[in-house]
Amino acid sequence: MQITFSRFDDNVARFIISGFSSAFINTYRRTMIGEVPTLAIDDVLIYDNSSALFDEMLVHRLGLIPLKTDLDEYVFKKDCSCNGEGCSACTSVYTLSVEGPKVVYSHDLIPQDPRAPPVEENIPLVKIIEGQKIVLEARAVLGRGIDHAKWQPTLACGYKSYPRIVFDNKCDSCGMCVDECPRNVLEIKGNSAAVVEGKIEDCTLCKLCERICIANADTWDSPAISVKTVDDTFIFVIEGDGSIPVRQILEYAAKEIQTKSDNLVDVLCDISGGNVND
Amino acid sequence: MIPIRCFTCGKVISTSWEEFKQRRSAGEDPKEILDDLGLSRYCCRRMILAHKEIIDDLNPYQ
Repeated sequence: MQITFSRFDDNVARFIISGFSSAFINTYRRTMIGEVPTLAIDDVLIYDNSSALFDEMLVHRLGLIPLKTDLDEYVFKKDCSCNGEGCSACTSVYTLSVEGPKVVYSHDLIPQDPRAPPVEENIPLVKIIEGQKIVLEARAVLGRGIDHAKWQPTLACGYKSYPRIVFDNKCDSCGMCVDECPRNVLEIKGNSAAVVEGKIEDCTLCKLCERICIANADTWDSPAISVKTVDDTFIFVIEGDGSIPVRQILEYAAKEIQTKSDNLVDVLCDISGGNVND
Repeated sequence: MIPIRCFTCGKVISTSWEEFKQRRSAGEDPKEILDDLGLSRYCCRRMILAHKEIIDDLNPYQ
């Protein structure tokens, strides 16, 4: 098992992970998208809304605002000591009170907990004109991406197999594949086509090079170039929406998988009457 | 109003709208603006490109 990071910022990570099956990598991806909790506005009390947007529309927009989430500070509402009534340990309250004419932005939303502000200040919510006003109180709770996309901490989160391009010795360096490749991965080196150094990860496995090669071959029945994959190596890209740093998403997801698999083992043992070590 | 997030990937794109609108009306090439705003995926780019603002038409009605 090996992980090499080629990029690791607060909001974007790109790494090559090897020694796992694609099933496990997919589990990891799904866990990051669906099981890592974040705060999102879930419950809104509207005192006044005379804007052009319906209450539901406005509330939907509020829900989609990413909120800075400190997972050590908040617990799930159902697990909270307040028994789901909503207290400062499980709920973050925001108030919005604006009068037109103006464009209402996410920074008009005043958080009661200064540690959980909206990630971006300039998200336009609605434009109101003279005489229109909005007064509301919004409550954000922790939730998971499997329940609603607003609780997803990740944006683009996916992987591809690590490409491996093999050249046959029948390559006559015609250069067709070099022109065809949309990512400019190939070049002519000596009397055969080759992969440009350091560009192999850009290959999208589209196999256009294979297709053009076989289309222009007179006597071959297989292309001189073939795009294959390295079986247990994957290129993983994850982007966060800013609510939780990417590092924390990666760590939390790994722990979550561990907890779930431990639970599965326990349940299986209960059913079969055996013990964990069998 | 411009949707808050990209329908497909979920990136917050609404913050880019006002700058896009302003620079577009100044005659700049949309490709340059979108690249500048960091909208690299085509799902996010279409959100901005295909948006029509109608809030001003709706605003007189409640």
